[in-house]
Amino acid sequence: MPALSISNLSAGYGSNRVLSDINLTIVPGEICGLIGPNGAGKSTLFRSILQIGVDFSGDISICGSSLSSLSNNQKARLVSYLPQNFNPQSRLTVSETVLLGRHPYRSGWALDSVEDLETAEKCMIETDTWDLRDRVFSNLSGGEKRLVLLASALAQEPELLLLDEPGSSLDFRHQLNMWLLLKKLSRRGITVLVSTHEVALSGRYLDSVLVLSKGSSMAFGSPSDVFTTEILSEVFDVNLFVSHDRVTRSWVIVPEMKQ
Amino acid sequence: MKSGIASRPSSGFWILLALSVILAGILSLLAGPIEHPPEWVIMRLRLPRLVLALLSGSALSVSGCILQSILRNDLATPYTLGISAGAGLVAGSVIVSGLFIPVMGLVAAGTAGALLAVILVYALAYRSRRGDYGSTLLLAGITMNLVGASILLLFEYFSDASRIMEIVRWMMGDMAVIGWKKPLFLVPPVILGMLVVITRTGVLNQISQGDDIAHTRGVSVNKERNLLLATAALLAGSTVGVVGPVGFVGLMVPHIMRRFVGSDYRYLVPASAMGGMLLVILADSLSRVVISPAELPIGIVMSLIGGPFFLVLLLRGGSRKQRG
Repeated sequence: MPALSISNLSAGYGSNRVLSDINLTIVPGEICGLIGPNGAGKSTLFRSILQIGVDFSGDISICGSSLSSLSNNQKARLVSYLPQNFNPQSRLTVSETVLLGRHPYRSGWALDSVEDLETAEKCMIETDTWDLRDRVFSNLSGGEKRLVLLASALAQEPELLLLDEPGSSLDFRHQLNMWLLLKKLSRRGITVLVSTHEVALSGRYLDSVLVLSKGSSMAFGSPSDVFTTEILSEVFDVNLFVSHDRVTRSWVIVPEMKQ
Repeated sequence: MKSGIASRPSSGFWILLALSVILAGILSLLAGPIEHPPEWVIMRLRLPRLVLALLSGSALSVSGCILQSILRNDLATPYTLGISAGAGLVAGSVIVSGLFIPVMGLVAAGTAGALLAVILVYALAYRSRRGDYGSTLLLAGITMNLVGASILLLFEYFSDASRIMEIVRWMMGDMAVIGWKKPLFLVPPVILGMLVVITRTGVLNQISQGDDIAHTRGVSVNKERNLLLATAALLAGSTVGVVGPVGFVGLMVPHIMRRFVGSDYRYLVPASAMGGMLLVILADSLSRVVISPAELPIGIVMSLIGGPFFLVLLLRGGSRKQRG
């Protein structure tokens, strides 16, 4: 049973169509990358899966249940999301922020259970945010904020994790740690759909890649199938030099110099 | 390893807060001159007045909490979205019109005006469909406040002197009661509003994180936001209808309480409710003793104490943030 299956998806906002005819199937434990230029529809794809303010047609099902058959709360226990839009001024502490990920598992005015606290602690340690736990969210740096929100997305204990450019504004060490964490999660059976602009590094960790361009699917396959000079140069509309580096088992992708 | 997630506000804090409210309540029963038979003064004047202070203090500050979550701005108050302007306009024009108004009419007028203002402001912001929803709401709210105030002035301009006196007195905030009518009519809206809020403190937390995040945690953001805005309007509107637009409570109390219990609304809402009671009781008692035997309007007392106090808090908070 696929963790996420999307067929014939068209989506947009009102009369403005952003995505057309997208098909995608991801199996449990797979890390699938979403690659494409700005405005290609990566975020809209996430928002369609999450049904946030997007008009869409087509079928989307998560872990075998179609979206329409799931209640908001059931969905929240299956899918969690690291968005690009969040309130950076939140005055909650880091541990309080991470604990908010437990919301789908409780109702009304409920205190944090021991299980909630343990899960939050585990997620903070995994994301390297445990030392920040008593800091106020609004005082953190941009990268730290993303890591904290990643921790709270993990605290939701999802089957499917949607990450919208999680690596942006992270330094080398945190970027690497994030990819290693995603790898670890995937071994636990968690499925990851991640959009990223760090194409070169991501190739080392992705199982599959969906390349989006102008709202439609340009290519789908393993990183070595997709990361070619022809495909990437066309999609990003710039002459790229693409080569696989055997030493680092990652890709070198550099725009060619124009004379 | 020590389990290190910081503990919640201790039970000692809650006991202290509750004791302060009780103590202030007893104090307020005794504050001011007693010229008539003490029993009558306590039972018919002071006690209903104390209940009115408890209700309006908690309603105004909890209403402030709601708006601070929805607008994701710690400086939002029940008045930011024009709630008081709407309540003031409708309740004020009822007073100006010179119709006989039972207390229930004022509660209803205040609530209706507040709801109307919120719906209008919200519809305006929604139609404009600008990216930054919060700031559009704020701008629409500020406009609402200004327009509401000038229409009220217009009404005053065309009415006779005694009515103007009455409405000006109401605008200054008026806690004076004879008998139980005022507090009793305020009980149902405030209890109803509190029940709605207390079951949704978790939702307030989620909404304060951002609409997208709240949505993916299973919160029906639009539905909950409408309900919470209506609740904020109910709490503040009904209160303003009865005691007039008393300022600063909805701003000052949550702000102070954040320093003690943090910004988790599960703790901030009950703490603000109690803090609001405490503040309004104290301000009301003060308003009775300062120029005794006459009394000052509570709105003036609140602004005179609240303004500078809040400024000091802001400045100190600012310098601490720079150091941290």
